[in-house]
Amino acid sequence: MNTAVFANTLPTTLRLDQCRKGATVRVTGLIEQPLFGSQDERVSLRLKELGFLPGAPLKVIGFGLLGSDPLAVQVNGTKFALRRAEAAKICVEPIDNPSL
Amino acid sequence: MSTPIRFALIGNPNCGKTSLFNRLTGARAKVANYPGVTVERRSGWVTGLQQPAELLDLPGTYSLFVTSPDEQVARDVILGQLAGERRPDLLIAVIDACNLRLGLRLVMELKSLNRPMILALNQMDEAKRRGISINTVALSQAIGIPIIETVAVNSQGVAELRKVLDGYAQQPSTPEGEQVLALSDRQESVEALYAEIESIISQHVIQPTHLPRWQDRLDSLVMHPLLGLVVLFSILLVIFQAVFAWASPVVDLIDAGFSGLGGLVGAVLPDGILKDFIVDGLIAGVGGVLVFLPQIIILFFFILVLEDTGYLTRAAFLLDRPMRGLGLSGRSFIPLLSSFACAVPGIMATRTIADPRERFITIMVAPLMTCSARLPVYALIIAAFIPEQTVWGFFNLQGLTLFALYFAGVASAALIAWIMRRRASGREEFPLLLELPTYRWPMAYHLLMGLRERAWIFIRRVGTIILALSIVLWFLATFPGAPADATQPAIDYSFAGQLGHFMQPLFAPLGFNWQMCIALIPAMGAREVAVSALATVYAVGEESIDVALGSALAASWSLPVAFSYLAWFVYAPQCISTIAVVKRETNSIKATTFFTIYLFALSYFAAWATYQIASAIVG
Repeated sequence: MNTAVFANTLPTTLRLDQCRKGATVRVTGLIEQPLFGSQDERVSLRLKELGFLPGAPLKVIGFGLLGSDPLAVQVNGTKFALRRAEAAKICVEPIDNPSL
Repeated sequence: MSTPIRFALIGNPNCGKTSLFNRLTGARAKVANYPGVTVERRSGWVTGLQQPAELLDLPGTYSLFVTSPDEQVARDVILGQLAGERRPDLLIAVIDACNLRLGLRLVMELKSLNRPMILALNQMDEAKRRGISINTVALSQAIGIPIIETVAVNSQGVAELRKVLDGYAQQPSTPEGEQVLALSDRQESVEALYAEIESIISQHVIQPTHLPRWQDRLDSLVMHPLLGLVVLFSILLVIFQAVFAWASPVVDLIDAGFSGLGGLVGAVLPDGILKDFIVDGLIAGVGGVLVFLPQIIILFFFILVLEDTGYLTRAAFLLDRPMRGLGLSGRSFIPLLSSFACAVPGIMATRTIADPRERFITIMVAPLMTCSARLPVYALIIAAFIPEQTVWGFFNLQGLTLFALYFAGVASAALIAWIMRRRASGREEFPLLLELPTYRWPMAYHLLMGLRERAWIFIRRVGTIILALSIVLWFLATFPGAPADATQPAIDYSFAGQLGHFMQPLFAPLGFNWQMCIALIPAMGAREVAVSALATVYAVGEESIDVALGSALAASWSLPVAFSYLAWFVYAPQCISTIAVVKRETNSIKATTFFTIYLFALSYFAAWATYQIASAIVG
């Protein structure tokens, strides 16, 4: 399967794990996460299946105890908890006019 | 009659599948494990049909491209690839009408298998309340699958679903022979499928862009850095308090009831072995099973409420980071917390942990949480050996000792969990990716059925083992009887007594004398029995047992011996009920054997080290 890797080449790209609470952003693509090793493709697939697709609006709604890991996000009206390792796979861009 | 028709419910986690299952079967679920895995298999018979029809409640799944054992089982059953499991004749796909996209995505995937399928659009009432309007007829045409609107809270749509199932069951099911089902490989893109779904939804569904305000408000409270913590700890405190304290009046009642019953029966029956067996073996054994029920029911009441409302996943989310340091996740917290009251309900509660390895580790360390049955033993020995004095200003030395015992358990559990996780880390790990379901009001019916199911599982699967083992223990402690000219307490002459004497050389490096060894045997039934067993072997009268026994112990044990005995009780899997519940929950003799041996080895080592070190210090 082809994982979108275009974000690797853009050092300025924002990733979901860098977003603050309350941030509304739009997914631009998924990148590799070496931590997941050979599972990485499956993780990407599952993220997409859950709706983390390019263009999807996304909002960071909160964090777990002790620091900002895991983080809770809302995508397409459904809320998910992601650890930082998963969130770091998701490239986003800020949106000014949130329509969540 | 050929084999009865088989339906299977399939859907995302949290779509209300199980409530629908309860409605369709009258909550008569047969709960077992799928062979070789700890995934729960729930099946039942659909009520009110003209033909008998079996209903399978498949584990919640997001996709046929699986990432967990639960999903693997669901997929294999649908494809007919699970050994010993017949492929369902009809799939009932359940979709939460408030979460259409995710549900429809799975349905579209299932549709590509070309299996007979109907769609139950669940939570329709809630969807309407939120202003979601679905043109069911048009949606059904667009996806090419019959749709029935259901509300699992009441029997409204369920009646219609039952009618459809009845119609299906009437048809002679067409044997398709060996049609091989294959999944299209993953090349077709998720994006294309979603685009199709978006277009279907935009044509046939009107939904507001926002969740109801109170949902988001509640989440901003629950996930608030400070207030969220307050909410979480208040809830945990109530659960802990309830399992620990609220259960005890009922437990005492059951205890008193069964000893009263024993007394009554004892008065009627003639003296002899039969009377002993019925009163001390059977009645006491049944009582020993039932005393666990209050704690199990209270704990599962809270777990089910938290699960149904949607808070349980949020608690797991909040506690994920602190628990991850140990290689566990937020899911393990509540099972471990309740193990402070009793490991039996705690281990049963590990069913809420999705990851099988994490569940295994949680089960293995749960008994290290100091349970309430250890308190009488601790209290007796501490009172006899630790002077009641104040240290460092305001700490009570006895209290500090008790704290040290609790701490030893927790610290060891943390260390062992960490080691077990490290050893297993060669295998790959799938990320958290937890859906936080929308908040809902819990349903009384669903709750009651869930509680009944848990209580029943415990009585049938665990209770029978406990009963059998406690009768064995009774036998060991009773036979052979003392000779007529006995000078020692009767237990000394029994098999248990002989075993205690036999064990003593083995336990000599720990400083244990034969009385201590004997007391360990009946304590396998329940730890607190060690106190009365010690009283028996030290021939202390029933009156003021604690004081008299305390001074008897203080006279015959040295301080290192007392410490060593305490250390033993911190670790030993001293109760067969725990072992029985581990057997039921892991569904594996190997795991249960490992559990028993590792804990006994640990307790032996801890008691030995404590004795040697304390002896060296005391001199």
